[in-house]
Amino acid sequence: MRDQVHQVNQPSLAPPTRPPFWRNATFLKWAAQIGALVGVAALGFVLIGEALSNMRAQGLSLDWDLLTDPPGIQLGEGIFTHPETGLEAFYTGAVNMLRVALSGIVAATLVGLVVGVSRLSSNWLASRLATVFVETFRNIPVLVQVVFWFFFASLLFPSLRPDSSGPIPGWLLVSRKGVSFAWPFPQETFWQWAVFLVVGLLLARRVYRRRLFRVEEAGEDARPLTWAVVVLLVVAAVGWYAHPLAGAVGWAFGGVAASVRAIPLLAYQVILAAISIYFGQRWIRRFLDSRRSPAGLAKLTDDDYFRMVMAGLVGIVGAAALLMLPGITELGTELVGSLLEFFDRKFDFLRIGAPLAWGQPSVELPGRFPQIADTGMTMTPSFFGIWMGVTLYTSAFVAEIVRGGVLSVPKGQSEAGYALGLRWGQLFRMVILPQAFRVILPPLGNQYLNLAKNTSLGIAVAFPEMVQVGQTMFNQTGDTIQVILLWMGFYLSISLLLSALVNYYNRRTRLVER
Amino acid sequence: MENGTTNDIIICENVKKWFGDFQALRGVTVSVAEGEVVVIIGPSGSGKSTFIRCINRLEQHQEGRIIVGGTELTSDVRNIERIRSEVGMVFQQFNLFPHLTVLQNITLAQIWVRKRTRAEAEERARELLERVGIPEQASKYPGQLSGGQQQRVAIARSLAMDPKIMLFDEPTSALDPEMIKEVLEVMQELAQTGMTILAVTHEMGFAREVANRILLFDEGQIIEEGPPAQFFNNPRHPRTRMFLSQILSH
Amino acid sequence: MSLQPHELPRPSEPPPKALRSTGINWMRRNLFNSVFSGALTVLLTVGLLVGILAVLRFLFSPERRWEVIPPNAVNYAVGSYPREDLANVWRSVWIIAALAGLSTVFWGLGGRVSLIRTLAAVRAAGVTVLVVGALSLWSPAGFAVRSWLVWGGAFLAAAGWAGMRSIREDRTFSAASALAALLLGGLAIGWFLLDAVAAQWHGRLVVTALLLLAFHWIGRLAGTRISEQTMKRGTTLLWLLSFPVIYLHVQRSPRLVWEEVTPWLPWAGLVVVAGLAVIGLVSRLGREQAAAVNFLLGGVAILSWAVQWPMAIRVLALLLTLFSLATPTFAASPQSRRIFYWSWLGGSLCLLYFFLLGTGSTDLATRGEFLGGFNLTLMLAVGGIALSFPVGLVLALGRTSTMPVFRLMSTAYIEVVRGVPLITVLFFADKVIPRFLPQGLDFAGEAKALLAIAAFSAAYLAENLRGGLQSVSTGQFEAARSLGMTTAQMTMLITLPQALRAVIPAMVGQAIALFKDTSLVAIIGLADFLRVARDVVPNQPDSLGSILENLLLAAVVYWIFAFSFSRASLRLEKRLGVGTR
Repeated sequence: MRDQVHQVNQPSLAPPTRPPFWRNATFLKWAAQIGALVGVAALGFVLIGEALSNMRAQGLSLDWDLLTDPPGIQLGEGIFTHPETGLEAFYTGAVNMLRVALSGIVAATLVGLVVGVSRLSSNWLASRLATVFVETFRNIPVLVQVVFWFFFASLLFPSLRPDSSGPIPGWLLVSRKGVSFAWPFPQETFWQWAVFLVVGLLLARRVYRRRLFRVEEAGEDARPLTWAVVVLLVVAAVGWYAHPLAGAVGWAFGGVAASVRAIPLLAYQVILAAISIYFGQRWIRRFLDSRRSPAGLAKLTDDDYFRMVMAGLVGIVGAAALLMLPGITELGTELVGSLLEFFDRKFDFLRIGAPLAWGQPSVELPGRFPQIADTGMTMTPSFFGIWMGVTLYTSAFVAEIVRGGVLSVPKGQSEAGYALGLRWGQLFRMVILPQAFRVILPPLGNQYLNLAKNTSLGIAVAFPEMVQVGQTMFNQTGDTIQVILLWMGFYLSISLLLSALVNYYNRRTRLVER
Repeated sequence: MENGTTNDIIICENVKKWFGDFQALRGVTVSVAEGEVVVIIGPSGSGKSTFIRCINRLEQHQEGRIIVGGTELTSDVRNIERIRSEVGMVFQQFNLFPHLTVLQNITLAQIWVRKRTRAEAEERARELLERVGIPEQASKYPGQLSGGQQQRVAIARSLAMDPKIMLFDEPTSALDPEMIKEVLEVMQELAQTGMTILAVTHEMGFAREVANRILLFDEGQIIEEGPPAQFFNNPRHPRTRMFLSQILSH
Repeated sequence: MSLQPHELPRPSEPPPKALRSTGINWMRRNLFNSVFSGALTVLLTVGLLVGILAVLRFLFSPERRWEVIPPNAVNYAVGSYPREDLANVWRSVWIIAALAGLSTVFWGLGGRVSLIRTLAAVRAAGVTVLVVGALSLWSPAGFAVRSWLVWGGAFLAAAGWAGMRSIREDRTFSAASALAALLLGGLAIGWFLLDAVAAQWHGRLVVTALLLLAFHWIGRLAGTRISEQTMKRGTTLLWLLSFPVIYLHVQRSPRLVWEEVTPWLPWAGLVVVAGLAVIGLVSRLGREQAAAVNFLLGGVAILSWAVQWPMAIRVLALLLTLFSLATPTFAASPQSRRIFYWSWLGGSLCLLYFFLLGTGSTDLATRGEFLGGFNLTLMLAVGGIALSFPVGLVLALGRTSTMPVFRLMSTAYIEVVRGVPLITVLFFADKVIPRFLPQGLDFAGEAKALLAIAAFSAAYLAENLRGGLQSVSTGQFEAARSLGMTTAQMTMLITLPQALRAVIPAMVGQAIALFKDTSLVAIIGLADFLRVARDVVPNQPDSLGSILENLLLAAVVYWIFAFSFSRASLRLEKRLGVGTR
């Protein structure tokens, strides 16, 4: 009977009409977008064409010979100080950059944590000093700081004499030619020991979880942390002597490397192309599944169609590129193969001896002038400048992030904790830190990224990192476009890697919370 | 019903709408005559808000037809503009522009959409503020007003565009009880001037007194419709009876 | 108990002795509140003293050559700007002083300053100087310096202390008069201390200070006649105009030779007049006819790049298309139409002047050497912000757009630029832009660096703006839509005003970062402030071996600017927070 009400006849409804295209919202939207896309593509086409003809006129071309030709340059420090190919030069630059970035990230985090917590301290002097630290270092351009520390080290440190032994003999040597300190150097057996360390860490984690479970379930005083540390130490100690056993790992790497090289290139190409198409297809299928209802497929918007077309296109273009340009696959297999062989070479049953050897700073006298011998770990003035500069600059920002993170935890949380009878230490570790950590992590990742990018200022103090090497290269060859493309590839992959890492931890901490 | 007659200002035919995989409207067919006051009630999530938002294309219906004032809602740019400028809308959360004063809130669209001069627009704005009973608040910011006052400004803002139809989307749901009355009075006065009104509301008193017709929505469909007297006193559908007993029990 | 009658209100008692704010109690609460804290205090005090001593030894070491800094003041300030034209630089300083004076009226300087707090600050400063002076006894500082520090510190501390003793009640005075007193006092001290150096500038500094004060009072007077909003808008417009006026007109060197005005000028004039007609026509047409006209106009503007038209005409045609596109939505009422006429006239004439700069023997596009030192640093910072704003806005709108292609393009640009260091973008501009230009043609390094900084900063700005755009609730869009606004009107009138207000603090932070980042142009060989301090001055024969002194000077100058900006932004943030709730 209800049906009668709204199933009435509709006599006067005219048949629907389509609007002309210039008034059709959907058409206009897509016309604008495709127009913009075509415009940008045309601009890029014209500019690149112009650039190519200009370069031809100057006798330059857009090839990648600079990676294989001898570059004829010298680098201040690093793995290859006299690189024989451009690739070696860039490799040296990349490793130098990573050295500064990683050690800088560790140092900046530690300094930033201490300063950030000090700013919150109830001790007036500590909080004031921390404030001064933050306001000083974050308001001076990082480049000024880098250059300052470089000149500070090379002008104000004591000059090196044959009998120099530094402020702490045997441990620390400070001189105008660099800062050298004692360091446990990994030996050729280190990798074998590292296998034990990894196993030890995994075991320790497992033991920690078990003991923690017993604390929580049975209420025993099971000391999870002590147990975990003891397990790790025991495994490490056993491994220190038993490490040749890990030589077996070398076989595994060698075997896989051999089989990787044995498969013909075309097989890889076909497999990878198939995988590319499969992923495109899978993405579309999952997307459609997400829009499906029990009643059937929901109406798709044009944005949905665009996404699916893009996913399909990416899959197909990827497959076509893999099939038509065997170079990509070749590069990939070559990289994987040599990486595996590299690991293979690190393991051998016959290698014995301590995995780490203690090295102490010392001075040598090869000619008339004294030099820092490479018995200790040495920071050149360039390294010192860039490292101090980026570390102090970043630590000021890290301190602010830490402070903001701790302050972001509502006061009610600590009051509730005290009310439950938690002590301050427990409260900080179990209530405030986990909550602050979630606030701290994303901006902290950003700061790490900034630090990594700021290492490029090494160029101002002649530190051979990626940008300095690149500039030296294009001053020799004139291949600016190639070098800039290499830089972009390098820094973008580091950015992607770091942000992927941060996202992963972010997701994990969020899951833990539930 | 007088569906399809010449003075129908809104005609909806078999309107369907999905959100992802959820079907919000399952074929709504209804017509509203010029000057008619229609109140839509129904449980939350029944699609009543979605329905009136489709009428000025804040949501796009995906199947069926909607014709407002003789113009059909399609992807024709001209039609969308014409319909929006003829249909005013009042929201549950007021949605006043917080960065503008009350007066600027009311004059903004008059100046830029209706192309009136500032003086004309301000004159009209003051006239409408007078009509909704808050002429003294013209130079304040929305954040400084009470909820009821904000909603009355929102009504004035819509009226300033001289719409033929007014849509109300739960205009009193976000208000404290003592403020509901002042808004309802404005709406009632509006109904008496012959404005076509489509209102989603839970105010049964308003529905009973002012509405010409009441629609009950459930699960994306119209379950029952009829004049208030019949609707409240003699509902035909068991679902209506259940809904009314829930609503009126407190 | 509760039945007992309440006692009469008791007089308030003084707090117990342990709670009173005496020095001892303060120390007990803030320095020795636990064993750990006490130990920390002792440790930090010792460390602090040792640190200050080390710094003093460094600063007052006989090897330090601080005396090379004052004679190079002009180098730091303007680099190699032609010395015979220095008056132009002063003129631009005066323009800024006048505008700053106007702006002080609504920069919150109408506020009050507390006398007691001022005196307390004087006392604290005096004690600090006194302590440093005492420590300098163990440093190689000369007798004169030591006595100045000790006696000056003692005097300040005593003055502050005595002042605080002598007044009973706090009094306040206006911030503007405080500023005036500070300025005049600074000038007097400058006269006294820096006489040898500043003698030649003293008159000009006085003019600067007087202009600042005069325009402050002019602003106050004007404020009584015009509404604050009009004042603010007018001053903002003047600030915006001051940048191109200063760098492209007042300071340009060599000056424009009007005799070389090029043959396209009459044609350009014709385009300007035609533009007025087009705007008038389009604003009166219906929507679809207007769209047709705009379509034609855009076609002509784009095709003009394929034929041999003068560059100025091509760019003017593009500008006219932009104006004409905005006309149907924003210029249909007579009032807004008049605004459009005037902005078209202003915009196109500015553009024409800009092209006059790039022609003939005084082509600024290829010659930027006249900019240098802190002047260049400021130009890059201000210009970078000004140019990156519209680009960043377009990118942010693109990234939040519902149209997938625009979203994709904006996202790609933003993520790529944010993933690489600024120095690679600078090298790109410096080395790759000439590759895209016809043989032998190149822009000035300064212009390329400005473009690179703006392009870099735009990506970061876009991310900030995106945050603001996303903070505007969907209800606002729905309200705007239901009132019949078009997407462009909604964006300009509803979304942006709210989004911009939300991201002002983030944008100030971004501006400070950009200011610091301009120092990177020293690496690609531009003579900015850092390069003058790092390379130019220390390599002069009479100032060899002064690199650390120069770098410290650079650090201090950059610090002062960055720090005061960040403090100002904190104040702004607080004020906005109060204003918008």
